[in-house]
Amino acid sequence: MVNAQLDKIIDKYVGKEGVLIQLLLDIQRELNWIPKEAVTRINERLGIPVSDIYRVASFYTALSLKPRGKYLVRVCAGTACYVRGGQRVLDAAEQAIGIKTGETSSDLKFSLETVNCLGCCALGPVVEINGKYFGTATPKQMKQIIERKRSA
Amino acid sequence: MEQKNKEVTITVDGQQVKVPEGTTILNVARQLGIDIPTLCYHAEVSPFGACRLCSVEVTKHGRTKIVTSCNYPAEEGLVVVTNSDKVSKVRRGVLSLLMARCPKSVKLKNLGKLYGIDEHGLWESNPDEDCILCGLCVRVCKELVRVSAINFARRGVEREVTAPYHRFSDDCIGCGACALVCPTGSKKIRIHTYATVAPLKGVRDENFGVHIDVFSAKPENGTDNLINALLTSGFKNNLFDTAIFTKRGDGYSGEVKVAQNTGEIANEKETPLLRIKMISTLQEAIDQGKRKIAFIGLPCQVRAARKIQQTLQQEMPDLDITTIGLFCRNSFNPKKLREQIKSILNIDIDKAERTQICDNKFIVTVDSQDFSCDIDRLDSAIENGCSYCNDFVANFADVAIGTIGSGHSYYTVIVRTDKGAALLEKLQLTKTPVMKADIVKLSEFKKNRAKANIDPILREIHAQRSKEKKVN
Repeated sequence: MVNAQLDKIIDKYVGKEGVLIQLLLDIQRELNWIPKEAVTRINERLGIPVSDIYRVASFYTALSLKPRGKYLVRVCAGTACYVRGGQRVLDAAEQAIGIKTGETSSDLKFSLETVNCLGCCALGPVVEINGKYFGTATPKQMKQIIERKRSA
Repeated sequence: MEQKNKEVTITVDGQQVKVPEGTTILNVARQLGIDIPTLCYHAEVSPFGACRLCSVEVTKHGRTKIVTSCNYPAEEGLVVVTNSDKVSKVRRGVLSLLMARCPKSVKLKNLGKLYGIDEHGLWESNPDEDCILCGLCVRVCKELVRVSAINFARRGVEREVTAPYHRFSDDCIGCGACALVCPTGSKKIRIHTYATVAPLKGVRDENFGVHIDVFSAKPENGTDNLINALLTSGFKNNLFDTAIFTKRGDGYSGEVKVAQNTGEIANEKETPLLRIKMISTLQEAIDQGKRKIAFIGLPCQVRAARKIQQTLQQEMPDLDITTIGLFCRNSFNPKKLREQIKSILNIDIDKAERTQICDNKFIVTVDSQDFSCDIDRLDSAIENGCSYCNDFVANFADVAIGTIGSGHSYYTVIVRTDKGAALLEKLQLTKTPVMKADIVKLSEFKKNRAKANIDPILREIHAQRSKEKKVN
C-alpha cells in the first residue's frame, strides 16, 4: 500500500539527476515523515545510496525521520522570543500536549519543536502551527490553542 | 576544467614553476618538495578542504587571501606563500580547534607540537571524541570502494559520520578502507572494519583460513543440497530456531528468506551470484527477539554477522549466531550482468536455471543447455566493493561451503569452529579429499585483486607516516 503510494511519487523522478531533496519533500508532504520503507524504496528505484538519502533526510529539519503529528507546533526559542517569555510558552505547550520538545504524541496528533527564528521578532513570543502564526503568545493562549486543536 | 593542457606559471615560496592549469597548489608544492601538512587529503580521492590544515596564502591581482591548498587550482600569475606568519597563525588556530575537539588524538598532539601548541586553551566538549569530521572515510567508501556505506548525518554540533540509522549497513563489505585512511584512527569508524575476533580454531592457512578440517562432502540421505541438509539438521537438533538465507527470486534476482522451521527450507533453486541485502534482516530478527540464528551468507556478510554478534555480546549474552559462509569470487551487479550476458552470449539471464563459475568460465544454464564465457569478460559487471575484498573462503564463518575444489554433486567444506564441527557432526556425509589447488588459485586471485586496489591507498599513508617519523 505504502509502496504503491511511494512509487507514484518516485515515478516522477526516475531518470533525473539531483532530485533527492525535492523527492524527499514530496514524500514528507504526502506521509508527514520519511519512513525507512521510503528510504529503501528510493534506493531500489533510483540507485541512490541509502547513506546519501539518510544524510540529506537527517540534515534538513523540514524532513523528519520519525513520524510527525497532524499538528506541528513550533515554538520560537530565538533570542527575541526567548526574552519575551518564549520558554514559558514552550513549557505550557509541553504540559498541554503531554510530551517533551522534539517528541510526537502517541495519538499522532501533535509534534512539538523549537525553531530559532520565524522572522517576525516584533510579534514575539511566536508560535507556528501548520503554517499559521500566533503572535505575542501567552502560556494561557498556548493551552487554549492546543485544546482547540485537540478537539478539532 | 576547460583547457586541460594549458600551462600556467605560478610562484610558490619564491620558486617559479610552469604547471598544467588546474593542478592543485598542494600538488605543485609537493612536486617542489615543499611540505604542507594535511589531514583530510588523500591523493586517490577528491580533495574536500575540510580540515583546513593545508591553508596557504595566495595573492591574485594584488589581493591576498588564505585558501586551502588541497583544492585550490593553479592559475596564471598566482603567488603562493606556504610558510608566512599568517599561515602559521591560521594553522595554529585550526589545530587548536581540532585538538579541543579530539583531546586524545596523538596525531593532532604531534602536529600541535610542530606548531608550538602545548595547551590549546579551549573548552573540550567531549573527552572521548576522536573524529574530526574530515570525511576522508566517506570519500574512500564512495569513490574507491564505491559502496557508500557510511556518510555524514545530521548537522551542526550533532554532525557525525555514521551508517544509516546508526545500524550495521547492508552496503558495507567490511573492507576496512575507512579505518585505514582515518587520520585520527577514530574508533567510531572501526565498527565498519569487521576485522573481528571469531572463536576460530585449528591450523592457520593463508588460502583456507583458520580451520579444523577441510574435505569434500555429499549428504547421504534425502536432499543432495548440503546447505539445506545442514539447516534441516540444525533445526532438528535445536542448534537454532531461525535461519536467514537468500533464495532465488523472480528472474535473475535474489531475496532474503527467514525460516523458522524445516518446512520452510524447500529445495530452492541455486541462489544467484548477487549480493542481496541481508544485514538489516538479521538485525530485524534480533530486534524481534530471535537469539538462535543460522546465517548463510557471503564472506562480507559473514563478517558483518560476526561484528553484530560481537557488538551485542554484552547486551545479549544469549545471542547465538551460527554462520555458514559461501565461497565467493565476487558478486555481480544484476543490471550490468544482464546487459553483459545479453551482449556476449545473447541469452536472457532472467531465464537461467542455474549460473556458476567454474575453471574461470561463467556458465549459464538455460533450458538444460550450458552457455559459457570467460569470466574476465564480465569484469565490468562486478558488484561495487567486491574488488576490495580479499576473502574467498569466508574466513570468519563457523563453516565455509563452496563447490570449488569438489567434484560433481560434492561440496567443499571448511570447518573453522567447534560450533561448526557440532553442526556437521549430526549429519551423515560421504567424504572425499578436496582438490586444494583449485581453491588456492581462486583465493590467491581474490587476494591479489584486493591488494592491487588497496596498495594505492596504503602508498599515500606510508608516505605520510615516513614524513611524520622524520619530523618527530
